[in-house]
Amino acid sequence: MSSQSRRENVVIQTLGQIGACGLFLLRILAAIPRSMRHVRETVRQLWFVGAMSLTIIMVCGLFVGMVLGLQLYHVLAIFGGTSASGTALSLSIYRELGPVVTGLLFAGRAGTSVTAEIGLMRATDQIAAMEMMAVDPIAYVATPRFLAGLIAMPLLCCMFCAMGIFGGYLVTVDWLGVDNGTFWSNMTANVDVWQDIINGVIWKSAAFGAVISLIAVFQGYTTAPTSEGVAYATTRTVVASSIAILALDFVLTAFLM
Amino acid sequence: MIDPVNAKLDDRTLVRIRGLTTVLNGKTVFDALDMDICRGKVTAIMGPSGTGKTTLLKHITGQMRGQAGEVSVDGLNVARLTRDELFDLRERIGYLFQNSALLTDFDVFENVAFPLRQHTKLPEVLIRNIVLTKLQAVGLRGAASLTPAELSGGMARRVALARAIVFDPMLILYDEPFVGLDPIALNQVLKLIRTLNETLGITSVLVAHELAAIKEVADHVFLIANGKVVAQGNPKTIADDGSPWTRQFFGGDADGPVPFQYPAGDYARALGFTQGAA
Amino acid sequence: MSQRKSFAVGTGLFIVLGFASLAYLATQTSSIANSHQGAAYRVDAQFANIGQLKERAPVKVAGVRIGQVQSIALAPGKDVADVTLSIDKQYSQIPVDSVATIYTSGLLGDQYVGIQFGGAKTYVADGGHFGLTKSTQPLEEMLSKFIGGGGAADAIGGTYAVKANFTNVGTLSVGAPVKMAGVAIGSVASIKADPVKLDATVTFDIDKRYNQIPDDSAAAIFTSGLIGSQYVAIQPGGSPNSLKDGDQLVLTQSAMQLEDLIGKFLVSGSSGGSNNASGNGSSNTPTGKH
Repeated sequence: MSSQSRRENVVIQTLGQIGACGLFLLRILAAIPRSMRHVRETVRQLWFVGAMSLTIIMVCGLFVGMVLGLQLYHVLAIFGGTSASGTALSLSIYRELGPVVTGLLFAGRAGTSVTAEIGLMRATDQIAAMEMMAVDPIAYVATPRFLAGLIAMPLLCCMFCAMGIFGGYLVTVDWLGVDNGTFWSNMTANVDVWQDIINGVIWKSAAFGAVISLIAVFQGYTTAPTSEGVAYATTRTVVASSIAILALDFVLTAFLM
Repeated sequence: MIDPVNAKLDDRTLVRIRGLTTVLNGKTVFDALDMDICRGKVTAIMGPSGTGKTTLLKHITGQMRGQAGEVSVDGLNVARLTRDELFDLRERIGYLFQNSALLTDFDVFENVAFPLRQHTKLPEVLIRNIVLTKLQAVGLRGAASLTPAELSGGMARRVALARAIVFDPMLILYDEPFVGLDPIALNQVLKLIRTLNETLGITSVLVAHELAAIKEVADHVFLIANGKVVAQGNPKTIADDGSPWTRQFFGGDADGPVPFQYPAGDYARALGFTQGAA
Repeated sequence: MSQRKSFAVGTGLFIVLGFASLAYLATQTSSIANSHQGAAYRVDAQFANIGQLKERAPVKVAGVRIGQVQSIALAPGKDVADVTLSIDKQYSQIPVDSVATIYTSGLLGDQYVGIQFGGAKTYVADGGHFGLTKSTQPLEEMLSKFIGGGGAADAIGGTYAVKANFTNVGTLSVGAPVKMAGVAIGSVASIKADPVKLDATVTFDIDKRYNQIPDDSAAAIFTSGLIGSQYVAIQPGGSPNSLKDGDQLVLTQSAMQLEDLIGKFLVSGSSGGSNNASGNGSSNTPTGKH
């Protein structure tokens, strides 16, 4: 009986979290006009979540592209279809791996730091101090970080994809000897700008960016103002973002295809 | 005591609290609390831990609202203000947090300049002059380029004080300004509170436990316990007013009106002894 | 202040880099790369079956892209497809009797229109027409002309070795099955290049149970299924003598390239693009002779 009520508690708590997160999103969106005064802060956050994630995104993109090129080459070689490696590489990066892997890396690199930063600001009363200085902390702290994540993710994802294609090119063309022209012409023949790049890369990664930033900001903003609370919130950001990315990926793929 | 009905809002009262009742998580924090804070004076609020002294400050700034009663600051009923009006009011109130709450992203200069940058479009030269004046007042003009992490606790509190007075507020609320300071830093903060009050005429409200310090700086003391003002008066004489609250609080007795034991059930039963002996 | 400026510069760099990547992805790796086109003229062609041909598919001469498919419509009142080709102005000297054919680029590629020049001295002009066309032919139709096989090798109770020389083994690998009438009777033991005759010497291990194979049998390299692995098929001859350990099969048929095969039959193959490879839903086991 107690275990059942505990299970109900978990369900109710989870629903409560999702509901609170949704309401928080409304507050963030409502604060967008007010946060226009803090454009400088949004740019600063873009630097922190975007530019600072560049190294990890590009290095990982390169390696994902390389390993994908290697795998695809050997699978396609079974069917004598190595000429399709450019197509297979670009489509799997654009449609799935690019947005999803970028999202997971972004949650780990930028999401956690946003949560920890806001959590510490709360623990050290910086949020309360802003309220006391008549500065709306939603408009000054939450919205700029949310917008920065929303803008940074598609850009990071584009860079991830470009590095992935380059990595795949290095392995399949330079190393394994797929014909250069075949690689590119098959790719250009089968990649559609709207379907694969705008829908697959841009919209998907923007949606992931919004969800990751929302979770990160929400967890930081609502954390218990203790060091333990901040640590816990950081973990929850990674867990919740990862689940949200993969679940949303399925929904978006079904919806956008 | 204050007459709750007939007390007129005169020019001498800046903060007037009437019948404030607040229940937090089922616990009654304030029970029809009345309090008047005079303009241009240093008022200290004392009381046992957990009586809601910080909560009271949050009511004055509108961060919290009571279930009943009213809090008016400079004639404005805080609970009835819209968000924008509340923010306008807060621009005229300085608040010194216990842990200073400096923004870790910025250096000392930018921390003090932060309210100016957010609320004004002053030219950079003017901002610089105002900030340096305030930093000079707290004696930290030389520390302008340090980051908050490089400051000691006392310095951080002085920077926070410079930030709190950057708009020349009518009211400053100090939340435990003396906690964790060495005697030198404590005296520096004490001197600043006194100077600000005397030179700028800023009304000051401070929440603190240090009676010795309060005797030096405060004009008036409120002792709150059990959600009410249980004693008030001149800090030099309040300890001798004969009430059991003041005797316990200023005498530091372990037991008294504030019980040593947190409310609990029957001790013998909790240990497993039944009433067999009776 | 300088700190603020470096933020702004770094962030600006980040944004520019991001959009540059997007521009690169969109223009260099997608179909847009193929669609930038200067001045062009239009030529019509009618096909009985266009298969998977799509708008914006390339038009090629000798493998070089000269334009793209502009529109595909059903010719009014007829059961043929009216395809309008948009050809770059710089390729204006195409003889009027040229043949337009729908090809597939590679085994898994998309379809395109190939043009073989005729001998006429007059050239097609804007609004002109290709009278001679060859339509696409469903791959199943073409493949059903060939026989195939399937199954796995399973050698128990000892084997004996037989050799055969092939001029081309294609993608045959060691371990590939050896089949007779579609049933696996052994496997490929080794593949070596013959240093003197300059062809490939393939050694088979054949199960001892199958010791009645005529010694004038032929060995051929086939492919199981359209994209399956290759195997060796033994076609029994009529000799009364049976193969023994170490014998050599004289009659062999090498692996054939798809291009050779298609050239042989003068038909164009058809398959879906890699996007929808199973689009044709081949339920039987088609076998191409490579």
